Amino acid sequence: MKKEDTVKLISAEGFEFVIDKNAAMVSQTIRNMLTSPGSFSETQHGVVRFPEISTPILEKICQYFYWSLQFASGKETEFYIEPELTLELMMAANYLHT
Amino acid sequence: MSAPKKRNFHIEAFKHKVVVDPKYAEKTWKVLEHAINEIYNHNASGLSFEELYRNAYNMVLHKFGDKLYSGLVATLTMHLKEISKSIEAAQGGLFLEELDRKWTDHNKALRMIRDILMYMDRTYIPNTHKTPVHELGLNLWRDHIIHSSEIQTRLLTMLLELVQRERTGEVINRGLMRNVIKMLMDLGLSVYQEEFEKPFIEVSSNFYSLESQQFIECCDCGDYLKKAERRLNEEMERVSHYLIDRTESKITNVVENEMISNHMQRLIHMENSGLVSMLVDDKYEDLGRMYSLFHRVPDGLSSIRDVMTSHLRETGKQLVMDPERLKDPVDFVQRLLDKKDKYDNIISLALNNDKTFQNALNSSFEHFINLNSRSPEFISLFVDDKLRKGLKGVSEEDVEVILDKVMMLFRYLQEKDVFEKYYKQHLAKRLLSGKSISEDVERSMIVKLKTECGYQFTSKLEGMFTDMKTSQDTVQEFYANQAADTAESPVLAIQVLTTGSWPTQPSTPCNLPTEILEVCEKFRTYYLGKHTGRRLTWQTNMGTADLKATFGKGQKHELNVSTYQMCILMLFNNADRLTYREIEQATEIPASDLKRCLQSLACVKGKNVLRKEPMSKDIGEEDAFFFNDKFTSKFYKVKIGTVAAQKETEPENQETRQKVEEDRKPQIEAAIVRIMKSRRVLDHNNLVAEVTKQLQSRFMPNPVLIKKRIESLIEREFLERDKADRKLYRYLA
Repeated sequence: MKKEDTVKLISAEGFEFVIDKNAAMVSQTIRNMLTSPGSFSETQHGVVRFPEISTPILEKICQYFYWSLQFASGKETEFYIEPELTLELMMAANYLHT
Repeated sequence: MSAPKKRNFHIEAFKHKVVVDPKYAEKTWKVLEHAINEIYNHNASGLSFEELYRNAYNMVLHKFGDKLYSGLVATLTMHLKEISKSIEAAQGGLFLEELDRKWTDHNKALRMIRDILMYMDRTYIPNTHKTPVHELGLNLWRDHIIHSSEIQTRLLTMLLELVQRERTGEVINRGLMRNVIKMLMDLGLSVYQEEFEKPFIEVSSNFYSLESQQFIECCDCGDYLKKAERRLNEEMERVSHYLIDRTESKITNVVENEMISNHMQRLIHMENSGLVSMLVDDKYEDLGRMYSLFHRVPDGLSSIRDVMTSHLRETGKQLVMDPERLKDPVDFVQRLLDKKDKYDNIISLALNNDKTFQNALNSSFEHFINLNSRSPEFISLFVDDKLRKGLKGVSEEDVEVILDKVMMLFRYLQEKDVFEKYYKQHLAKRLLSGKSISEDVERSMIVKLKTECGYQFTSKLEGMFTDMKTSQDTVQEFYANQAADTAESPVLAIQVLTTGSWPTQPSTPCNLPTEILEVCEKFRTYYLGKHTGRRLTWQTNMGTADLKATFGKGQKHELNVSTYQMCILMLFNNADRLTYREIEQATEIPASDLKRCLQSLACVKGKNVLRKEPMSKDIGEEDAFFFNDKFTSKFYKVKIGTVAAQKETEPENQETRQKVEEDRKPQIEAAIVRIMKSRRVLDHNNLVAEVTKQLQSRFMPNPVLIKKRIESLIEREFLERDKADRKLYRYLA
């Protein structure tokens, strides 16, 4: 996988997730970060830190990104969310504009 | 997240801890303000998008949206004021470039700011009904840059000056121009209109008003139109290069108005180069240009059309009324056809085949062709000429083409019945003298007339062909039956003509030579024996004969002559010298015909089989004629024409007219009766109109004539006037 096609997401605890750019761009916020005309540090390095998102939530988010890509192509499946993650996940979704 | 309507529920807070720090908002804002400054300074690479976004997000979330928004406005305003200063400071030509560069910068910065403040755009702005970030940035730019008193006028004059320079042929930076115009457009349509379009249109209108004035003073019509067309194209090109599409119609309107509409009449009537001379000289290109340009303005085409029509009518009238032209009917019609061809070409090549022009052309032709009452005769003569000899070596298709063209002229005729009369006469001559080149062509002409005017029109013409055919059969039969009796006598080719179908002139038959009289009598008995109840009279004025003659030195010639001429020549078998009076007595040929025959026998060089005393061109009643022993000719067969004028002489013409008028009477009456029979009651004006309508395809009935016919019908008790209203007519069954 070429570096240009991937992006590194870092959780509050410092855990790194490397995922496809087009998966990450399911989030409108991340899309803006990566495509904004000015050269912000995220745009330049392909690394985004989320000091306010914990590792399990970010992991779930990444899973959702990939699921969403599949779902967008028309495959009907259910995306399972553990009840205890629900609240935090929703707040993160609002933040990431997903 | 997976719920389809996930945006509908409102999430209170992402952070659990409640911010207590009263300086929190202030501090966060400082971070953002700093970032905005950095962005404007092209120094964004050190900034973390996530951090800025998070800060803005939190500010909005913690109800500091107002502070964030007003801070943003203040910061943007501050930057724009700086920018405006730097633009104002730019000198001369650099001004636009600086403006363009700053605009690009501002746009980029604005997009970045919008991105990091995305959360505010999403939640705070819709709730408080404020202007979204990007739009806000554009509005501020408009207010502080474009509407800055320094920049506003300078921008406009620069733009207009550039356009002006391009119009005078200089090359300008179109890319820059396009960018600036696009900027105005991005700021909103109204900005573009106010700041550029309106003044641009005004200036252009002045420019073209002046320029067109100059051009028209010094150029001829063709050049002027070329210039106008070029200007028009330039403006359209300008629009496509750096203006907005919707300006095109406005600016072309200006050019059309100033360069075309205002000078339209002057252009059309320009001496030596205006419309008329273009028409005369077949200037297709100029005409096409005029058409396409004038097409764009109201009344443009109708002006061209009016002038063309009046020119056509004028020249057409000259043509048909020119006494010179009347001498040669074939040339006359040929000229008409040429004229028609010329204008057909103009319309198809230069005027886009415009239907309205075709109609104008047709109505003009109709107008002037009917100015000359002899047109029907001439057209028939033209056809006669073509079908007689003119088509030698011409293929049948070409004949068809010529005939089709003639039919076009025929369509213009109002007095089609006059044409029919003449055509009948000419056709009869052709058929009887066997001079028609091809029966197929003759028939095709009849078919054309039939499709044009209906069966009634041609039934008699067709009858003539039938007569020809049956006559041939009858003569063959006659000779088959009487072979023994007729072997020694001259061979007759007899055409039995039905009285109604042929244009016969009542003529007293001349005295035929005895040899011929004998065969004639035999035929008469034979024919009447076959068809009882018929009458047979001899039309000696129409036939032809072939004579074998031996001249002084023993050379033999075959003479092709008319029946009259044959009678005269036969007299010289028994005498060498005859006076005019003797000939007249012996043959009983009517005086006028006799003179003509003698003239052609004695006075035409190379064909003078008779000798006349005294030698002169005209035949006098005291003249004496001799058989010309010394006659020589290169040819074995000598055709002796009659000096008959092809064209009718004035009295003949009058006579035909009269006949036509006579023929019209029953037609008008029939039409009146037909109409009244179905309507029962009708007032005078309507009746006249109806009659005119019914007869239009054949001729234009004169209202006075119709009135006379009505009166005659009233006398004969077909109609009566209403007792109460004298203008009403009633049909009496």
